[in-house]
Amino acid sequence: MSTLLTLSGVQHHYGRGTRAVAAVGPLDLHVNAGEFVVVVGPSGSGKSTLLRLIAGFEHPSTGTVELAGQPPVPGRDVGVVFQQPRLFPWRSVDGNINAALRWAGVPRADRAAASVDLLAKVGLSGLGARRVWEISGGQQQRVAIARALAARPRLLLLDEPFAALDALTRERLQEDVRTLTNRDGQGAVFVTHSVDEAVFLATRIIVLTDRPGRIAADIAVPLPRTGVPAAELRAWPEYAALRGQVAAAVRATLTEVEERV
Amino acid sequence: MSTEVTERPVVTSRPRGSARRARVFTRPALALLALLVLVGIWQLVALARIWPEQLLPTPGQVWHQLLVTSDSGNGQGGYGGSTLWERLGVSLRRVAYGSVYGIGIGVGLGLLMGLVPAVRATVEPLVTFLRALPPLAYLSLLVIWFGIDEEPKVYLLMIAAFPPVAVATAAAVTGVNRQYVEAARALGARGWQVVASVILPASAPEILTGVRLAVGIAYGSVVAAETVNGADGIGGMVLNAQRYNQTSVVILGLVVIGVTGLLIDSLLVALSRLLSPWRGRA
Ligand SMILES: Nc1ncnc2c1ncn2[C@@H]1O[C@H](COP(=O)(O)OP(=O)(O)O)[C@@H](O)[C@H]1O
Ligand SMILES: [Mg+2]
Repeated sequence: MSTLLTLSGVQHHYGRGTRAVAAVGPLDLHVNAGEFVVVVGPSGSGKSTLLRLIAGFEHPSTGTVELAGQPPVPGRDVGVVFQQPRLFPWRSVDGNINAALRWAGVPRADRAAASVDLLAKVGLSGLGARRVWEISGGQQQRVAIARALAARPRLLLLDEPFAALDALTRERLQEDVRTLTNRDGQGAVFVTHSVDEAVFLATRIIVLTDRPGRIAADIAVPLPRTGVPAAELRAWPEYAALRGQVAAAVRATLTEVEERV
Repeated sequence: MSTEVTERPVVTSRPRGSARRARVFTRPALALLALLVLVGIWQLVALARIWPEQLLPTPGQVWHQLLVTSDSGNGQGGYGGSTLWERLGVSLRRVAYGSVYGIGIGVGLGLLMGLVPAVRATVEPLVTFLRALPPLAYLSLLVIWFGIDEEPKVYLLMIAAFPPVAVATAAAVTGVNRQYVEAARALGARGWQVVASVILPASAPEILTGVRLAVGIAYGSVVAAETVNGADGIGGMVLNAQRYNQTSVVILGLVVIGVTGLLIDSLLVALSRLLSPWRGRA
């Protein structure tokens, strides 16, 4: 498997001097093509900062981030899905996807077909003409995912994308993301604080310590990606065992905090 | 009453709905009634002849002037060579040119001000200064520089129109939700693409508010602009009529200017609703 993402000795702090807040690190991480890495950690442990470093929105205070051998640049090789859909309300659903295709360099003639494909991928066929405020929160997040996939990024970054959705919608989106990103070697780094979401989606789970976020545990998830219905998978004893293992690792980081305080 | 509302929403919703319908129905009706009462009082006061006809003509006389000045075959081509509507057209053309130039400059300058802090620091005091000046005050300078043809009039309206647009645009641009900008950058948008596809549309509702203000100011300044060699406009007609004590023509001019101004404003409100239907939804 080829290396997609490498973080070496990465540390990041916000602010300067005595006001500096250490948010992340020191931290080393390799992500291979085709891996679905889920980062779990308590609130404020630097998960969003980690994604922003990988997306190229922040540069590490020390250490290096390399995506496909180069420092990351926003909009190149990575797609980002934020917690809020951040759709442009002055454009229709189709308009949002078309803008992404245009910025990705897709020729005008190919955009209409590509947009239809992307909408079908996220299960929103026929909703292209809708205004973004006319569709539900779950559908908006689906559009955001389609938009992030427009440039066919090698790596998809998702920052608690389902945290604001109701439980049923969340489960359906989890299932779709699981199958969607399991294609042609694309990698994903998905941030959540839900242990169940982590076990369900990941091929590998990284548990972060409390701030500044370091790697507390690195757990492989050898569950089948296809062929087993979600409800059945969740009932597997292996699934329950992994849940228990991850939950224990997360709890361990929390007790550390309590002992320190 | 209030307990009934909470306990029986189904029952109370019916009278509430009809009350809303009644309000929608009575509002324009009330306005019309108020207008009729006003004209009635005017008629009574004019007929009482407390002041001579020279000072206060009757509504009927003003109406008569409307008919006379609209008639190009009345021996003076309407009024002083052109009909009321031709004059209105001339004035509106000036307002349109002045507003379009002013809006163009305002949006461009405001964009620069909002994007480049140094530009804002340099230009903002100047814009604020211009905004504080009454247009009539700089008309003299414009006449010296540009003569007495169309230019100084259009420039006057332009200078009156651009500051509110520039200020509104600059404020809108600095206020754009950074999350949209970041989302666009994450999708590969660069430099000008971010400005054209995110910052400008995100600012549109606020810019349109500035435009509405600007057109109002330009329109309100057209009479001032026509004090110098502007006899062919509607403001010129009012100024001319004043010289000859034709009070009914003056009043007619005011009414036409006022009603047209209201129409333009409601048109702009409708336009901004049309152009930013997402206003307040994101
Ligand atoms: N822009 C910023 N400026 C200063 N401090 C920040 C900024 N963003 C995040 N932080 C701080 O960095 C730490 C990690 O934040 P974040 O990465 O958002 O954590 P998480 O996503 O895990 O909740 C927090 O203590 C937070 O307050
Ligand atoms: Mg976060």
